[in-house]
Amino acid sequence: MRIGKLLMGDVHFQFKYGFYFIYFLFTILYIGLLFAFPESWRQKAAILMIFSDPAAMGLYFMGAIVLFEKSERVLDSIAVSPVKPLEYVLSKLCSIGIISTVVSLAIGIPAGIVTNPITFILGVFLCSCMFSAVGLIIACKTTTLNQFVLATIPAEILINIPAIIWLFWYKESWLLIHPGVSMIVLCAQSGGAFPALIFLFLWTALFVFIACGAVNKMLKSVGGVKL
Amino acid sequence: MIRVNNLCFSYTKKPFIENTNFEVESGEIFGFLGPSGAGKSTLQKILTGLITSYRGSVIVNGEEVRRHDNGFYENIGVDFEFPSLYEKLTARENLKFFASLYNKHRDIDKLLLSVGLINDADKKVSDFSKGMKSRLNFIKALLHDPQILFLDEPTSGLDPSSSRVMKDIILDEKTKGKTIILTTHNMYDATELCDRVAFIVDGKIRALDTPRSLIMGRGASKIAYTYLDNGREVRTEIPLCKTSEDETLSRLLRENRLLSIHSGEPTLNDIFVELTGRQLQ
Repeated sequence: MRIGKLLMGDVHFQFKYGFYFIYFLFTILYIGLLFAFPESWRQKAAILMIFSDPAAMGLYFMGAIVLFEKSERVLDSIAVSPVKPLEYVLSKLCSIGIISTVVSLAIGIPAGIVTNPITFILGVFLCSCMFSAVGLIIACKTTTLNQFVLATIPAEILINIPAIIWLFWYKESWLLIHPGVSMIVLCAQSGGAFPALIFLFLWTALFVFIACGAVNKMLKSVGGVKL
Repeated sequence: MIRVNNLCFSYTKKPFIENTNFEVESGEIFGFLGPSGAGKSTLQKILTGLITSYRGSVIVNGEEVRRHDNGFYENIGVDFEFPSLYEKLTARENLKFFASLYNKHRDIDKLLLSVGLINDADKKVSDFSKGMKSRLNFIKALLHDPQILFLDEPTSGLDPSSSRVMKDIILDEKTKGKTIILTTHNMYDATELCDRVAFIVDGKIRALDTPRSLIMGRGASKIAYTYLDNGREVRTEIPLCKTSEDETLSRLLRENRLLSIHSGEPTLNDIFVELTGRQLQ
């Protein structure tokens, strides 16, 4: 299957370009930091860490990956290959989603927050895919790292702030509709996991759909036409 | 293999490619010649399905290009002018990855061997010279054994021996029945490789014929000779077909007084300039 081969190619690319090394460093740093906190803080700190980094890292990594591909003109060859935009998007999202989930488990298990591995894994994986899809949408429309970083700021604010407010202060059930809150609910297993899963899945699907459109336009623009 | 009827396309509201018609047969090497910005690459992008917002009809491999699905690319190989390779991967890793995107592919080592890169197969592409990257990019287009090859300046920046190797591979692909579209502003490559060429200027095809017909049809072969006349060197040029009528030349030959004599044909570039008023290079 082409998507499996694309996924292998993306994993290989990320390994060669040092992305996994960065993940490894972050994991060590976060686990060390986690045990420096008092025990009463540890669970919330672990959830915040997982939400803000392994899960959200896809947003930045996706920018780096696509900008690398743009600068090396690899997208020219992808555009004239049988690869479909959906295959391109899913392979990128899964490659980052898998490593994000592994890193999150490495942080979450020592912190004692993984009481239900299924909801935890689904929460992190879907959230990572959603962040990566947002990163992909932005990366498709930018050409430099500076442009990309600037463009991610509104997305970061919109996704992170409600989730942090939920985690520390304001736990109203209507906030479950927010993807960041849904992810935290799934990881913290604090009740309402099923609706949280539905909302997070719908958000992820929506951003995957938009990302496919953005990738299609980006690949067509290799032909010099802005549609 | 390729049939273009009444093709019109423009990036802006101003007309660019207008009512273009041509056909390319299976097993033919067809060249697009023109200066930068003439519309060669735009035509190639339309033929490869990267631009679908054209008017008219463009049939490639039996399929209307604007309605192509992604299976269309199983039979099309594109060698872009600039390398499109993962720099941190090795040559072999790049080829393996791109080969994995297609249903079928050729033997990677044989391809590497054919362009003299087998000993560098496990070297990172970032350590390659420009010529090595061009050769690798070229075989990347051949990887899935496509029926139609689009080659954009395939010998650009190559040393003469590498250029020879590439041209031999192109001719070899032709003997296998592959259709090859060559986009270039190198008249020597076009003369040597192409069965037919199209001169493109400002998005329009100004001439389309075999290089030989274009050359012979527009300008006759000439003879240029020099001799001394009252201590001053004189250069004279006459059409080859008028040799026997030139009394001066006959006399100079009898008296062994020629300083030099050369025959020559106009080049494609000369014909291009004559037809379009523009330079190819």
